[in-house]
Amino acid sequence: MSSPISPACARPEPALSRREVMAAGAAGLALAALPSSVQAAAPPALAELIARVTEGAVPERSKITFDIPQLVENGNSVDVAILVESPMTEADHVRWIHVIAEKNPFPDVARFNLTPRSGRADIRATLRLATSQKVAVVAALSGGSYVMADADIVVTLSACIDGG
Amino acid sequence: MASFNARITMPAEAKAGEIVEIRVLVRHPMDRGGQVDAEGRIVPRKILNRLTVTYAGEPVFRYDMHTGVSANPFVSFTTRAVETGDLTFEWREDGGATFTRTARLVVT
Repeated sequence: MSSPISPACARPEPALSRREVMAAGAAGLALAALPSSVQAAAPPALAELIARVTEGAVPERSKITFDIPQLVENGNSVDVAILVESPMTEADHVRWIHVIAEKNPFPDVARFNLTPRSGRADIRATLRLATSQKVAVVAALSGGSYVMADADIVVTLSACIDGG
Repeated sequence: MASFNARITMPAEAKAGEIVEIRVLVRHPMDRGGQVDAEGRIVPRKILNRLTVTYAGEPVFRYDMHTGVSANPFVSFTTRAVETGDLTFEWREDGGATFTRTARLVVT
């Protein structure tokens, strides 16, 4: 018997047994009483994924127009459009644009490397999203700084269903 | 893959300094690995992991693809028309295969 969700799409954590689920449920009740800051410290760690590509720098939220449908019916092919405001000159251009989907099995989705000869930092592409999540775009500027934008996406059909 | 099918859409000619949009659509399953095929076997990962574009020999764009890029990947980007020359598109697939296509841009 096989699950329609392929194993490669499962989160890296080991599967929970029924007993663990029951225990977690009980713990969850206790946790609900705690202040929300405790829960906010939990796994997703989009900030960590961003820090990994920016070598620790915290990108400013500006300059990027990130166009992605908020409700995605099919996660197998999601159209995105990314526009970074930049003169794209030798002195001031976008070096690369990196797309991170925190809940994909491999959160690094794509990287677009640009040059001053690009003329504009204007990209469209089709991506896969495993589930509803926050998708972030980080752009590295020639001056050494980073900018970012993100969007919350609801995915109704996961890209992790076999046959997709 | 015997039939590598790429569709490159861009203007055939442009004025010097004009920014041209280039759209590239490729037919490729982009197997992310781990799916089970009809015979119950695990499909290994096989994706196009990189598209490099050079314009008259100069690199102008590179697209690093991971498993989060859709099957039949589409990408559009721009480049500034500087001289008449060939744009060369080179895809690299897992396993080392490469596929190349060229398109000519005439600059007036």
